[in-house]
Amino acid sequence: MIGIKSYGAYLPKNLLSRNLISKAWDFPAIPGSKAIAGIDEDTITMSVEAGLDCMLGIDPKTVDGLFFATTTQVYTEKDSASLIATVLDLRENIITIDFTDSLKAGTTAMTRAIDTIKANNDVKSILVIAADTRTPEPSTMWEYGFADGAAAILIADDDKLPISIEDYYSISANTTGPWKRTEQDKFIRTFEPKTDAQFYFNSMRNVILELLKRNDLKPYEIGHAALYYDNPRMHARLAKSLKFPQGVAQNGLFFQIGDLGTPMPFMLLISALKRPKPDAKIILAGYGNGADGILMQVKDKNMVKELNKTHVALGYQKNMEALDNYSIYISNKKLLDKDRYTRKSSAVIVWRETDSIYQMYGNKCKECGLIQYPRMFTSCFKCRTTNNFEKVKLQLKGTIFTYTLDHLIGGEYYETPVPRCVIDLDGGGRILLDMTEIKNPENNVKIGMRVELTFRRIHEGAEFINYYWKCRPKRGRS
Amino acid sequence: MSKGGIKDKVAIIGADMSKFGERWDKNQYDLLVEATEGAFKDAGITKDEVDAAWVGIFYYFTGLSGTLVEDALRLDGKPVTRCENYCASGMDAFRNACFGVASGAYDIALACGVEKLMDEGGSGLPGFKIFGHPIYPLPSAPAMFCMAATRCMHEYGWTKEDLARVAVKNHENGLHHPKAHFKSPVTIEQVMKAPMIADPLGRFDCCAMSDGSAALIITVPELAESYAHSDDYILVKSNAISVYTMAPWYWPSYDFTHFPATVKACEMAYKEANITNPRKEIDLAEVHDCFTITELLNCQDLQFCDRGKAVEELKKGTFNWDGETAINPSGGLKSFGHPIGATGCRMITEITKQLQGRAEGRQVPNAKIGLAHNLGGAFSVCSVTILGKNE
Repeated sequence: MIGIKSYGAYLPKNLLSRNLISKAWDFPAIPGSKAIAGIDEDTITMSVEAGLDCMLGIDPKTVDGLFFATTTQVYTEKDSASLIATVLDLRENIITIDFTDSLKAGTTAMTRAIDTIKANNDVKSILVIAADTRTPEPSTMWEYGFADGAAAILIADDDKLPISIEDYYSISANTTGPWKRTEQDKFIRTFEPKTDAQFYFNSMRNVILELLKRNDLKPYEIGHAALYYDNPRMHARLAKSLKFPQGVAQNGLFFQIGDLGTPMPFMLLISALKRPKPDAKIILAGYGNGADGILMQVKDKNMVKELNKTHVALGYQKNMEALDNYSIYISNKKLLDKDRYTRKSSAVIVWRETDSIYQMYGNKCKECGLIQYPRMFTSCFKCRTTNNFEKVKLQLKGTIFTYTLDHLIGGEYYETPVPRCVIDLDGGGRILLDMTEIKNPENNVKIGMRVELTFRRIHEGAEFINYYWKCRPKRGRS
Repeated sequence: MSKGGIKDKVAIIGADMSKFGERWDKNQYDLLVEATEGAFKDAGITKDEVDAAWVGIFYYFTGLSGTLVEDALRLDGKPVTRCENYCASGMDAFRNACFGVASGAYDIALACGVEKLMDEGGSGLPGFKIFGHPIYPLPSAPAMFCMAATRCMHEYGWTKEDLARVAVKNHENGLHHPKAHFKSPVTIEQVMKAPMIADPLGRFDCCAMSDGSAALIITVPELAESYAHSDDYILVKSNAISVYTMAPWYWPSYDFTHFPATVKACEMAYKEANITNPRKEIDLAEVHDCFTITELLNCQDLQFCDRGKAVEELKKGTFNWDGETAINPSGGLKSFGHPIGATGCRMITEITKQLQGRAEGRQVPNAKIGLAHNLGGAFSVCSVTILGKNE
């Protein structure tokens, strides 16, 4: 059986209230808020977070591929999937690919993952991750919608799975709107929002009707419908036209976290599965120049509940924090021209020290047993033995031993001063990490504080994006 | 340690320093000439009598290699070596020069240090964009020492006011030194209210960015008697350097309440100089006070008091100019700033003048044994030099 083995999600710490947007531009008020990535976050870092959540309790070496979907890829030449797979510590002999340029890239990646597993006896599972950080043009209505987040789904062929995948169907539609030209456009554009809405309605309706027809299903037989939308009114119209019973097509997320783009259908699915109905049929649908529909079924309600219990609740949704003002948002989105700080970097060093930098491996001294970091040091801190280490995976959590709040900083930071924290990792190893997502560090950083590691952008030295781990106050990763 | 050692094998016969400060109108060659000319004059020699030179320079933009000395002095192709060992660069230049004369290879050596920081602008030490590993976090210099401050506050209950007392003492001392960068007293309140640089250290807890140079002329004692200071040349009693990790934040179980390099270097230096009770035997010390916390911990690590007791002793006046062990009677880095390559030689120059009884306006009474100490990097490199009168 092919189906969903696990899922995970990530929402950044910041919530921007739509109230602040309407105040900034004197726009009509729209309720709710939307999720906003920090200045040190992008689709790669958020995908690592969603991937870590999804892979909880699963050996990353058992995964045979990583399919990444986004419309806001960090590079146009150089894929993102291989870096995400590296940080998640997947094997080298796997398939990695980026699905881009359409908002339905997430659901398309998922259907292609199913096909790949079907077609290859030696491919048993593929991790599908979708993430987006679409930047709306300030003072446009897009600003109310576009939000940031990531979601991950592990597709697997296994005897026992919480959710099975029964069928899928896609249509392609060459609609012009919205778009973003490769060279010219900083922001997404559209020709006529009303026709955009009509394109959405037609493609989504057609793909779902065909999926129901092919499987001889009536709308009332569908238990959960996770349908992409960027406009709550159109979503309601679509659900009504498809004759789904009340409550089947959930639509609260737009108000709570905004339109996440490619991860939105996954996020809607994970949200719907918070209360899984036994044996329920599920429709997952993505939209963008056509649509994908995927039919699934809850196979084991208890397994779904177990997933919900062990993983963070919808990407830390409970643990988000409202931004105090609109200017922090504008600054985080780099919409203000500022001199940007670049440290030197070296692609060679990053490659050579991948296990230490990206995968958080340390050294364990074979002589005295001391676990230490980083791996570039060649002699033991304690017994001084040279080159007699074994490589060990370090834990992504620990306790602050000492720290400072550094005002003399260069670079892009979430907030200053920057806490520089010396952390004793659980299970061994001591490390120095900057802290992110901390408000009022003068009052809130303490010796003995528990922290989690989170993968972030750090600078653009040598004109490529340099990533490393930071720490953050505990958000609740298991 | 080998049986050799340096004790009583090297004599300082000339010493001087430039004015320290924001020397916008002077370049590194000017500063070096200012210091070396003073030292040559003090020794009663000309530059042509120098057989070899060692120069402490930290930053590449001050000068790479020994050519800076050649271009300042035109030593006509004589050997010059640049020494770089973080904040101990200048004292390490002196140490290497000592070996040069003690070995018999040279009769007279010049040990000097220079740094031209202010050409790079004034907001913190330059170069952090290009130092070290490109990925792992690199705290600012104050942030490194703050990690110790935070931990000491936690372990010993020290307060920001306790740290401020170091700044107040050293600024007071600096008032009386003609070459100091700052000659202005500060109050505890001023120190505590200054803008934060790296929590808990504010602007007055940190030494300033300055330009400066210092120079020493050394020879062997047998030859010293034929130069200007035939009666009062100063003897090197020991000279030690200790190097530990650049990244103490990765050192599992390191307590951040002592500096291992200081402990190790002074252990070596005391053994060689045959000092068993540092607090009693050492009359004055120029101790690295790049930050207020640094001086406190160094006083403990140099065994001038027990661990955890530095604040108590400071309050009692033990470390005052006229206290039991005068710490930084010159005003220290707090008053001179820290032109990195120059600082070690500046300290040795200061101790020399004090032991010769020529520290006008700031003379520590009856000074016989003095110590100079640098600590650099992330408490990584420590050099200790002990000097004594020729008695």
